[in-house]
Amino acid sequence: MVPIKAPQPTASTHAHPFGTLKRSSTLPVPQRPDVPHRHLLAPEDAIYQESPPRKQSAAVTRLQKDLRMTTETSTAPDSKAARNRGRSRPKSQNRSTSRRSRATWKKLLWVKQSYPDNYTDQDTFLEHLQRNPRLQPYDFWPLVADSTVIVQHVCSVIIFVVCFVGIFQERVEPVAVVSWGSIATVAGWVVWDRWVGQETATPSRIPIPPKLTSENSKDKLDASAASSMSNLTAVLKENGNMGNTLAVTSGRQSHSASVTSIQSTTSQVNTGTNSPISQPLFKADPHALSPRSALRLSTAKSALLIYFTLLGLSPILKSLTRSTSSDSIWAMSFLLFTINIFFFDYGSLAPPTFSSSSATKNKNIPASLSTNAALMASTVLASRLPSTGQVFSLTLFSIEVFGLFPVFRRYAKQRSWRGHVLLTAILVIGAGGGVGLTLGEGMWPWKSGLLGVLIGALVSGLAMGGCSWWLIGLQKYKNEIHGPWDPARPIIRRQWDDY
Amino acid sequence: MPYNIAMVSDFFFPQPGGIESHIYQLSTKLIDQGHKVIVITHAYEGRTGVRYLTNGLKVYHVPFLVMFRSATFPTVFSFFPIFRNIVLREAIEIVHGHGTMSSFTHEAILHARTMGLRAVFTDHSLFGFADAGSILTNKLLKFTLSDVDHVICVSHTCKENTVLRASLDPLMVSVIPNAVVAENFRPLSHPGYTADGTAQASGQHNPIPQQVLGPNDTITIVVISRLFYNKGTDLLIAAIPRIIALHPNVRFIIAGSGPKAIDLEQMLERNVLQDRVEMLGPVRHEEVRDVMVRGHIYLHPSLTEAFGTVIVEAASCGLYVVCTQVGGIPEVLPAHMTVFAKPEEDDLVAATGKAIAALRANKVRTEKFHDQVKMMYSWYDVAQRTERVYDGISGALSEADFYGFDAANASSWSASRGRAGVQSFALIDRLKRYYGCGIWAGKLFCLCVVIDYLLFILLEFVAPRENIDIARNWPKKMVNGEKNGEKNGRERSREMRRDTT
Repeated sequence: MVPIKAPQPTASTHAHPFGTLKRSSTLPVPQRPDVPHRHLLAPEDAIYQESPPRKQSAAVTRLQKDLRMTTETSTAPDSKAARNRGRSRPKSQNRSTSRRSRATWKKLLWVKQSYPDNYTDQDTFLEHLQRNPRLQPYDFWPLVADSTVIVQHVCSVIIFVVCFVGIFQERVEPVAVVSWGSIATVAGWVVWDRWVGQETATPSRIPIPPKLTSENSKDKLDASAASSMSNLTAVLKENGNMGNTLAVTSGRQSHSASVTSIQSTTSQVNTGTNSPISQPLFKADPHALSPRSALRLSTAKSALLIYFTLLGLSPILKSLTRSTSSDSIWAMSFLLFTINIFFFDYGSLAPPTFSSSSATKNKNIPASLSTNAALMASTVLASRLPSTGQVFSLTLFSIEVFGLFPVFRRYAKQRSWRGHVLLTAILVIGAGGGVGLTLGEGMWPWKSGLLGVLIGALVSGLAMGGCSWWLIGLQKYKNEIHGPWDPARPIIRRQWDDY
Repeated sequence: MPYNIAMVSDFFFPQPGGIESHIYQLSTKLIDQGHKVIVITHAYEGRTGVRYLTNGLKVYHVPFLVMFRSATFPTVFSFFPIFRNIVLREAIEIVHGHGTMSSFTHEAILHARTMGLRAVFTDHSLFGFADAGSILTNKLLKFTLSDVDHVICVSHTCKENTVLRASLDPLMVSVIPNAVVAENFRPLSHPGYTADGTAQASGQHNPIPQQVLGPNDTITIVVISRLFYNKGTDLLIAAIPRIIALHPNVRFIIAGSGPKAIDLEQMLERNVLQDRVEMLGPVRHEEVRDVMVRGHIYLHPSLTEAFGTVIVEAASCGLYVVCTQVGGIPEVLPAHMTVFAKPEEDDLVAATGKAIAALRANKVRTEKFHDQVKMMYSWYDVAQRTERVYDGISGALSEADFYGFDAANASSWSASRGRAGVQSFALIDRLKRYYGCGIWAGKLFCLCVVIDYLLFILLEFVAPRENIDIARNWPKKMVNGEKNGEKNGRERSREMRRDTT
């Protein structure tokens, strides 16, 4: 909060020679150059420096009166009388004597000080005030680069919606959509599997937990796929978070220990979430299947299970919202997609570097909210479709887009920046083109698609640049005030066996 | 010169608390000084109407909708009619509000300024600037304190905070600490008091023999606090097992209740410390002393504190104080009575260890604490300093004396900004001050003030002053000759005011 009304004696004004700012800025009479700091010396002290005033001589009083006359002529006798009356009071007696023997003012309450209660010490007042202690100025291009994450997500949502509209208007074969999606997913999985392989091969400091945990979450997926879609991905997200927090806890140990401990925790997670049948096999006979092959196998298994579960569920989903009108469904899915975009976990990175993991740890909105919202939106949208095949395609596609694709995107950003930019470009083109094709109903579908691509690229570029510029511009309004009045943050070493 | 003062706050007896006892003690001492003091608060359950407390302190319990934690619902204007009636009935000159969270206080200050009375505000608490609740409260405080004559804070940290929150001129903020009634917080055995607790007639007493603590004597650590997060109960929970593990002959007595009590009990059960930590549950304010004198060290792990009256009370009971160095606490007690700790578990454990070691080495003369605290804090002193504030704002003390020397000759700026001058009751000057509160807030506040003023005129029309009876004053104990003359003078000034309006 910016103190606007009165100029504040913050640290910058401490050095000001004439008291606080407001005195010099609002006083019409030019200040006498030889009058020193008002809280340190009174005017008469400055003039009669050789003989410090024991008692106010007549000359001093006259001079004071003169000084006073310059601004308020009428009240001068009054205030003089008031001063004399005040002099008789013991408090002001103290004050005038204190001018001779300057006891320094202390910021203490238990000492009886010879200063008035409203005395403000210019040197120590607000000395513990901190302004914007954690301010880190943004740069333009890094900010634009970071905003690509948001653009990617918005674009993937748009692509999904466009696919739905295409299926709904029967302009696109649902099987084509889901096949292309599945092909892309498999391709992404292969790429990602290779990255994981590279990482385990090179003894990297950043270990593998999130990938493993996401694999594990797929295991979980197949374990409980029958229950509900949204919960599954919640579990997926939770698992990712769990890996992060575990990494944090072990981060307290020495570094060499921490890597092993993380790996041990991930293996624990592994064993915990893997089916009990595969676990002893994995432990007992390492030569039969390498861990990675086992993982691949379980991934394939879970993928198949999801596939067939969805196939079985599609007729039910188809009739899910038959009694609800379409308008409510559009509004509801719009709302849910908005929730998805706003609460999506853009910040957390795939591998838990220790700085980012602390950020994810004290986050108060669960990442699963976003995924759940998206899956619910796609489910209600799918229930509008007339045939079982269409419902199945759309639901499977939504799992690919909202459940698996973000994992891959995060990882891609981490691994190769070029790939990330390329992916962003592809997504923007896809979204723009898709919107163009959907809206352009004329006989020139390719033209309108191209126009859509152009407009999409333009809009996303402008949004990225404009928003970044806006955010940087807003930084000058940042005024965070901290001081001794803030509640302290207790630092507690909590033993883990306690809780 | 005696004033007619109205203390206004949502918080007053029968509810227990720091602000409540502050208002009561201050009012009592001001009455002793010869002023007339009334208290205006809202009606509590079973406590309505007008009440007289000890010493002739008159309390108005105004019926009002209580919203949250005994704070009333913030309606900007609805308090005005009855407030005006009380103020006229009692011939109030100074309205003194207490507590940021009390909406009664804010309304009363606004209406008092509309009616042309002096207004003083006492801030008892610290607020941050970050969260949404604080931002709203700070805006409200800025609104009220845009037009107030003087502000009193209980510590220097509190003053810094209030000056920043309400954008005030630091010179119009005084620091007047809380105090303790030393007689109510006397050590277990003190030669200054007789066995039944009354102070001996002779002020002087023999020097107290030092209590010698053997190396194996049990040291009892007392904690009396509401068990809330901001009172540092988490720190306490983390520190207690470690302190007990480090020091064999140490016991704890914990008094107080709150949402964190369950965590504390869980910790005790987990570590099997029931025989060394005694939980007393909630204690009444009168019983605090009886709990305190059972211990040697007072542990105060609070995370934020404007003043911390309880550590003064503990020191007055002759306890060595271990406290966190937050808020206004470092200003409150001298170094030889306290061990300061950072609000960290490790540091709190270390500081407690230091205090235990110092006590075991018999280096701390805790038996002298009571007399020293008695010299430092007394309500009489607080009342005198508050009286000086009243003098300053009502013009009995010249501006030069009150605000410093060269502030007096600048009459030009006091009108529209900064502190309220003598001439600043004009509506346009008040509006100028409110307008500076913010782009939107300023206009909104101006609107409120204008409506308030119209309401005032309407009330003057609907319920004329002449129809309101003047309440008779409580007969004072001491009879002095000038009282009648004084009263006549007051009558006269009221007549004059009536002529001018």
